[in-house]
Amino acid sequence: MNIVEGKGRTVRQINEAIRRLIDAGERELLVRHPGARHNLAVAIVQNVAIVIDGPVGYYAGGMSDGVRLTIRDSAGWGVAECLMSGEVVVDGNAGNGAAASIRGGTVVIRGDAAARAGVAMKGGLLLIGGGCGYMTGFMMQRGTIIVCGDAGEALADSMYEGLIFVGGRIAELGNDAVVSDASPGEVQEIRAALDRYGVPGPAAFRKVVSGRKLWNYDKRELGVWKAAF
Amino acid sequence: MCGIVGFLDTSGALGPVGATLLGMLEALAGRGPDSSGVALWGPLAPGVVVRIKVGEEGAADARWREVVRRAGRLARVEATTWEGSLLRLVVAKAEVGELAAAIEAIGSDVEVVSIGERLEIVKQVGPPANLAREFDVSRRRGTHGLGHTRLSTESKVDLSHSQPFWAHGTADLAVVHNGHITNYHRLRRIYEQEGVRFYTENDSEIIGIYLARKLRQGLSLRGALEASLHDLDGSFSYLAATKAAFGFAKDPFCLKPLLVGESGGVIAVANEEIALQAVLPAGYRAREAGARAVATWEVPERAGPSGAEPRRAGARRRAA
Repeated sequence: MNIVEGKGRTVRQINEAIRRLIDAGERELLVRHPGARHNLAVAIVQNVAIVIDGPVGYYAGGMSDGVRLTIRDSAGWGVAECLMSGEVVVDGNAGNGAAASIRGGTVVIRGDAAARAGVAMKGGLLLIGGGCGYMTGFMMQRGTIIVCGDAGEALADSMYEGLIFVGGRIAELGNDAVVSDASPGEVQEIRAALDRYGVPGPAAFRKVVSGRKLWNYDKRELGVWKAAF
Repeated sequence: MCGIVGFLDTSGALGPVGATLLGMLEALAGRGPDSSGVALWGPLAPGVVVRIKVGEEGAADARWREVVRRAGRLARVEATTWEGSLLRLVVAKAEVGELAAAIEAIGSDVEVVSIGERLEIVKQVGPPANLAREFDVSRRRGTHGLGHTRLSTESKVDLSHSQPFWAHGTADLAVVHNGHITNYHRLRRIYEQEGVRFYTENDSEIIGIYLARKLRQGLSLRGALEASLHDLDGSFSYLAATKAAFGFAKDPFCLKPLLVGESGGVIAVANEEIALQAVLPAGYRAREAGARAVATWEVPERAGPSGAEPRRAGARRRAA
C-alpha cells in the first residue's frame, strides 16, 4: 500500500500526492497524519481504496464517484457530500450533514452522526451505527437511511421520498413524516446491509416515509403548511 | 464564520493554558483573521486584575496616570504594567461596577476590557499570530480559558468589538460566540431602557449581559445557559465561563459547529477538530454537540494566591 504522509504538507499537497499516485496506476493508498484538516480526498473519480489513518475535517471524500474511502477516526461536517457511487466508511463519529445530497453509493458512520445527516439525499445508502442528530433526512428525495441508535428531533422533516429506518427511539418526527413498523422483508434487507459492514444493530426497526401532504399545496391543509414553514 | 475555543483542566490545577489556547486559535485562524483574543482564568489575584483600553485620544502616559489616580481613590493600586495595547492594574478589593465607572469616566474611548479576581482578557485587531506577539499569552498559566478569532460580518473591526467579551460589571464572567443573535436589537432596547450600557454594535456582546443578569437573579451558570436557549434567537455556539464554572450552549437548529473533546480530566471545545488535534493527546474522544446542547463543568477552587500548582495523584498526560 502506498503511503501519503500528511504531516508537514498542505491540504493541496496531500490531495496532489493522492492524485499523482492514482494517475500512476496505484489502487490502494494510505494517508497518514491527516490532522483533522478539511477537503481531503475529494473529487476522486476512480475505483481506488483510500484509507485515512486519523480524523478529518470538513467535506472528506466529497464529490467523489467510485472511491472506496475509509476514515479510521471521526469526520467533520459534510463527509462524503455529493457522493455519486462507491463507499465512504467513517469509523468514528461524523459532524453535521454527513452524506448530504449524495446521489448513490454507501456512506457508513460507525459512531454517531450529528445534525442533518442525509440532508437532501438523492439516492444511495447512509448507514449510521449509532444515533443521529436534529433534522436527519431533511428534504430527502430518494435513497435509504438506516439509523441503529436513537434519532434526534425533526426526523425526516419535509422529505419528498426515500426511506428512513430507525432502530432506537425517535425524539420527534418532522413535518409530514409518517412512521410505521418495518416489514420482515425490510428488516432482512437492513440486516444484510449491516452485516456487510459488520455493524451490530437492533432486531426491530421503525420505518419513516413522507406523508406526501407537502407535495401539493392545499389550502384546506393550511395548518400543515404553517408548521412546515 | 469566527472560531471559538475553550479549555479546562477539571482538576483545578494551574497549567499552561495560555499556550494551549494560542495553539487552538492558530489552528482555527482560517475561520477569521480580523481580530483575536483570549480570556484566561489564572491564579487568584490579591484583589482584582483590571485590563484597560486607554483610548485613542491624548498621550497614553497621561491617561495611564489618570487611570491610576482614579482607581487609587477607590482602592490601593498594587501594580500597574503595560502589555501590548492594554494597561494592566492590580487593585485591592473594590466594587467592580464603581471601579469600572470611575476609570471609564476619563473619556468615552476608555474601556475596561475585563475585571476579575482570576479573569484577564487580552485581545487585539489581527489574527492569533499577532496576539502571541503583542501579549505574553503563551507564558500565562491558569485553570481554564476561552479564545476567539473573528470574521466580522455586521459590526466594525476594532479592539472593543473583538472577543472574548467581558460581561461588563460582573467580575470574572466572559463569553465567546460564533453565530448571530437575531433578537439582539429587541433585547438591546429592553436592556437600555433599564440603564444597561452597551460598548459595541456587536450582537455577541448581549450574551454576556444576558448571562450576568441571570446569574444576579440567582441562577447557576448552567441554569443561565439553559435559559438562554429560550431567550436568545438565531444561530449560536457560545462558550461562557466564570472563575468557578465553564460551559457552552448551542442553538436549537445546530447552525454553528461545536466539537467537544475530552481526554482524562481535560476538556477542549472548538468549532473544528483541527483545534483539538493541536492540544489533546492521541486517543481523545470528540463529539459534535447536538441541538439545544448545554454542558457545564465546575472548576475546583485549588488555584491559590501563590499560583503554586497543587499536587496531584499519579502522572497523567497533559495538553501542551
